[in-house]
Amino acid sequence: MRDVRNMIVGAVLVFAAYYLGLVVVNVSALPIPGPLMGLFFLLAMLFLFPQLEVHTARFVTFPLKHMALLFIPAVLGVSIYWADIQANALAIAIAIVVTTSISLGLTAWFSQQLFNSKSDTEPKAPGKNGEPK
Amino acid sequence: MKEALLQAFSLAGVLWLSISVIGYIIALWVNKKCKGHPLAHPIVVTALIVSVGLYLTNTGVTEYQQAASLLHWLLGPITVALALPIYRQWQKLKHYGWRLMVSIAFGGILAPVTAWLTLFVLDAPKAIQITMLAKSITTPLAMESSAQIGGIPALAAVFVIVTGVVGAIVGTGMFAALNVHNRQAQGIAMGTVAHAIGTAKAIQMGEDVAAMATLGLCVNGIFTALALPVIFGFFV
Repeated sequence: MRDVRNMIVGAVLVFAAYYLGLVVVNVSALPIPGPLMGLFFLLAMLFLFPQLEVHTARFVTFPLKHMALLFIPAVLGVSIYWADIQANALAIAIAIVVTTSISLGLTAWFSQQLFNSKSDTEPKAPGKNGEPK
Repeated sequence: MKEALLQAFSLAGVLWLSISVIGYIIALWVNKKCKGHPLAHPIVVTALIVSVGLYLTNTGVTEYQQAASLLHWLLGPITVALALPIYRQWQKLKHYGWRLMVSIAFGGILAPVTAWLTLFVLDAPKAIQITMLAKSITTPLAMESSAQIGGIPALAAVFVIVTGVVGAIVGTGMFAALNVHNRQAQGIAMGTVAHAIGTAKAIQMGEDVAAMATLGLCVNGIFTALALPVIFGFFV
């Protein structure tokens, strides 16, 4: 019963943030997407009232986990642009495959350099993350 | 929203929503059977199943999109829901400090800029160039922000997913080639460049890698989605 109540509160929070985001972006003509604004509202709400995390989690955990289903109509919609994709297939393939691989490698390498440079101040106590599981 | 709900309760709506959900459940099962291989990502398999359904019933994609518009509408609220994982990562973010932020910024700028540059040099149409800028962030944010800057959301979704699959496949190989053994660094790169699909792969690589990937995913997603429309709004 309590779970159901939490879920309803969570739903109200998410949808309130969503519509508030849409309205604010619409009225203020800010150049950002309404749902992103809604995300910031929900984030702000969570920071102001950390106790609401439970309610929000109750409502969003399941849909977030299965978010992939929501992309299906959009993904299939790509067939409308098939001609454009085909005409630029090589460029798109290089842009995705080659640059993603390079960016992935370089980012990891760069990050490793950064993190290694602080090895002197490594505060990691051994057993800190060693809770039995 | 009213439109989407009305569609959902029409005959075509019930039919195609059920096919999508059943397809997705099958896709989850296939993904499990393939031990979570990136190519068997649920979205890839679900899209294949639904396409076959459309082909067999001779249904057009636009017809399907209309029937299943509830799914598409839910992308908005689910974007808002991303606030929860971001909120939960916030504490860790402070713990790792500027090194983490700089690493994410590095990948978050490098990946879209090199991809865009490739398309620019090879003279692809402007809309495709712009859409490519959103390829490294999670799908709902990518679709929203690409629509905002004159890109094509459907294309953004596909670019994002292919990027994620590629990243998840080449990740370990690239790390070995460049001698990156630091697991935190691997995680950051996976989440920042290959978003949720890279993060799914990172989960298989270990809990510590996954935690950093989630951070990369959240931070890069939110900053790119914010930066793109703002940059385009002011300068282009």
